[in-house]
Amino acid sequence: MSIQENYLKNKKNIFFSENKDIQNHREKLINIFENDRFDKKNNESLKNINLKNFIDFKYKYLIPEETSVINNNQENSYSIVSVNGQCSNFKDDKIEITRILDKDYNDFSKNNSIENNDYFINLNSLFLNSGFKIIIKKNNNIKIKISNIITDDYLTIFQKNNYICEDGSSLNLIEEYENKNNSTSNILNVIKLEKNSQLNHFLIQDNSPNHNLIITSHSSCKKDSTYNQKVYNFSEGYVRNFHYSELIEPNSEADLQGIFFLKDDNTSNNKTFVKHLAEDCKSNQVYKGILNDRSKATYFSNTHVDQVAQKTEGYQLSKGILLSDNASYFSKPELKIYADDVKCSHGSTIGPIDENAIFYLRSRGMSKIAATKILISSFINEELSSIDNEQMSELIQKKLVRYLSKVK
Amino acid sequence: MFLEINDLSVKIENKNILKGLNLNINKGEVHAIMGPNGCGKSTLANVLAGKEDYEILNGRINFKGNNLFDLNIEERAQEGMFLAFQYPVEIPGVNITPFLHSAINSKRKRMNEEEIDNLSFAKLLKSKASDLGINIDMLKRSVNTGFSGGEKKRYEILQMSILNPDLAILDETDSGLDIDALKIVTDGVNKLKTKDNSYLIITHYQKLLDYIKPDYVHIMVNGSIVKSGGSEIAAEIEKDGFQKFQ
Repeated sequence: MSIQENYLKNKKNIFFSENKDIQNHREKLINIFENDRFDKKNNESLKNINLKNFIDFKYKYLIPEETSVINNNQENSYSIVSVNGQCSNFKDDKIEITRILDKDYNDFSKNNSIENNDYFINLNSLFLNSGFKIIIKKNNNIKIKISNIITDDYLTIFQKNNYICEDGSSLNLIEEYENKNNSTSNILNVIKLEKNSQLNHFLIQDNSPNHNLIITSHSSCKKDSTYNQKVYNFSEGYVRNFHYSELIEPNSEADLQGIFFLKDDNTSNNKTFVKHLAEDCKSNQVYKGILNDRSKATYFSNTHVDQVAQKTEGYQLSKGILLSDNASYFSKPELKIYADDVKCSHGSTIGPIDENAIFYLRSRGMSKIAATKILISSFINEELSSIDNEQMSELIQKKLVRYLSKVK
Repeated sequence: MFLEINDLSVKIENKNILKGLNLNINKGEVHAIMGPNGCGKSTLANVLAGKEDYEILNGRINFKGNNLFDLNIEERAQEGMFLAFQYPVEIPGVNITPFLHSAINSKRKRMNEEEIDNLSFAKLLKSKASDLGINIDMLKRSVNTGFSGGEKKRYEILQMSILNPDLAILDETDSGLDIDALKIVTDGVNKLKTKDNSYLIITHYQKLLDYIKPDYVHIMVNGSIVKSGGSEIAAEIEKDGFQKFQ
C-alpha cells in the first residue's frame, strides 16, 4: 500500500487530520513521498537501511484498552507505562503529564527544522497517532522512568513527545524499550530546556529482531542548561538513534553518548547534529559500537559552530570494534566552524580487537574467549562505570553479559 | 630436560628468522641469550610463548616433557611458562587486580589446585607488590596504562612473582630502565630464583648479567646460536661487540 493510500484510509485515526493548516502541510509531505522527491544525495536518513520495509507498510494502530499507570511511588520519582505511545494524564505541583489532544496541534503538528528531508520525521508528521507532553515545573528535581510497551504485532506507532524543563528544574529520565513483537515505533522527542535546567536522558533499547525502533530527538538549550543523553542499544531489531541539538543561549551544554552492541544481521544507524548558536557552549559526543557477525552501523556527526558562538568547545569521538570480517561500521564525524575562538576536535577509530592485547592476556593464562570478553568490557568500561544509578548499572551489566555470552 | 629446542626454523611474512636453532635448559638453570638487533631473540621469546604470527618451518620444542606445539598460548602459561614482555601492552579499562586474580586461578585450575579466593589473593598481591617496592595505588590502575617504562617492567616482574612460573623468559627486561629501576627489577628476579625454576634472559648488554648471574651465555646471530659458554662470553661481547660472530 502506498503512503498516500495508507494515509487516506486511516486519517480518522491520525491526530490533527481535521485541521486545515495541517492538512495542507501533510499534502505537501505526501507529494514528496509519492513523487520520490527526497534529496537522496547525502541524505543520512536513507543510508544503510532497507527502505522498502518502511514504504510498503500497513498502517495499524490500537488505542490501548487499559489506562497507562503513573505511580508516584516515592517523593519526586515517577513511573510511567506508555502503552502504544500513550499514557495517562497526571498533574501535581511538580510535574504535569498530558496525552496529546487535538487542541495541542500547535505544539505537535509541525517539526520545522528537523523535518526537512528526514524521511522518518516526515512519516512521523504524517501519521502521528500517539504521544504526550511532560512539563517539569520550576526548580523541581524529578526522576521519571518510562517503560514503553507495544501491545500487538504489526502496530505502527508514530509518536511525538514534548518535554519541557522549566527554569532551574532537573530531570533524570530513564526510558526502556523492550518489545518482543513485530512492530515499528517511530518516535520523535522534542525537548526544551529552559534557563539553568538539566535533563539526564537514558535510553535502554533491547527489542526483538523484528521490532523496528526509530528514535529522533531534538533538544534546545537555553542559558546555563544541560542536556545529557546516553543510549545503550542491545536491540536485535533495527534501531535508529538520531539526535539534533541546538545550544541557543550562552553556557549551555549537550553531552551525547551512544553505545551499541550488534550481532547477526542487525543494523544501528546513529546521527547527531549539534548547532552551537551562542557563546561559551560545550558539546561532547562519544559513540562506541561492538559489531559481530554481519551487523552494520553508521555514525554521522555534524557539529556546526555559528560565527557568534565564540569560546565554543565541541568534541566528537567514535570508536568501533569489529568482531567479524563481515561486520561494518561507517563513521563520519564532521565539524563546520564559523567562529575563530573555539576548541573542537573529532576522531574515529574502528578495527578488530587488538591482537597484541589478546596475546598479552592469553600469555598470562586467560583463554582466548575470556581475553576477548575482557577486552570488549574494557572498551566500554569508562562509559559503563560512569553510570551513577545502581539499578540501571546492574541492568546494563546483565545485558552486556548476555551479549558477551553469544561472542565466540 | 626442562626445555629442549631442536633445529627450530621459523619465518614470518616470507622472512626466515630462526634458522636451525638448538637450545637446552635444565631445571634451576639461568641462560642468557645475547645478540645484535634483528638476530631473532624476541622471535624466539614470542614463539616459545605461542604467538601465532609465526610459521614453524621445522624443529621441535619440548617443555616439561610436552610437545610445546600441542599447547596453545594460555595452556603454555598454565603449564608454567612466562614471558616478561619487552614492550608490555597497555590495556585501558582492564584493572590489574582482577586480571591477575583470574590469571592465577586459570593456572591453579589446570593444575587441579584449589582456586584462590578474593581475600587471600589481595593479601598475596599486596605482599608481592611490597617486596618489589610497588605502590599499592598502582594496583588500582588499568594494566600498564599510563605506566612509565620502569613501572611496566616492575609490573611484569610482579606478575611473574604472582604466577610463579617454572620457566620465565625475560625479553630485554633491561631496555629503557635507569640503573635504579634495573636494580629493583633484577633484585625481584633474584628473589624468585630457586632450584626448581629456570630463566631465559634475552639482552643486548652485559649490565643485566652483572645483576642476574647466568649459568650459561649464548650468542645468537642471524637466527641461530653460534657460541655458548659461561659468563666470560658476556664480557667478551662487552669488549669486542658481536661483529666477529657475524
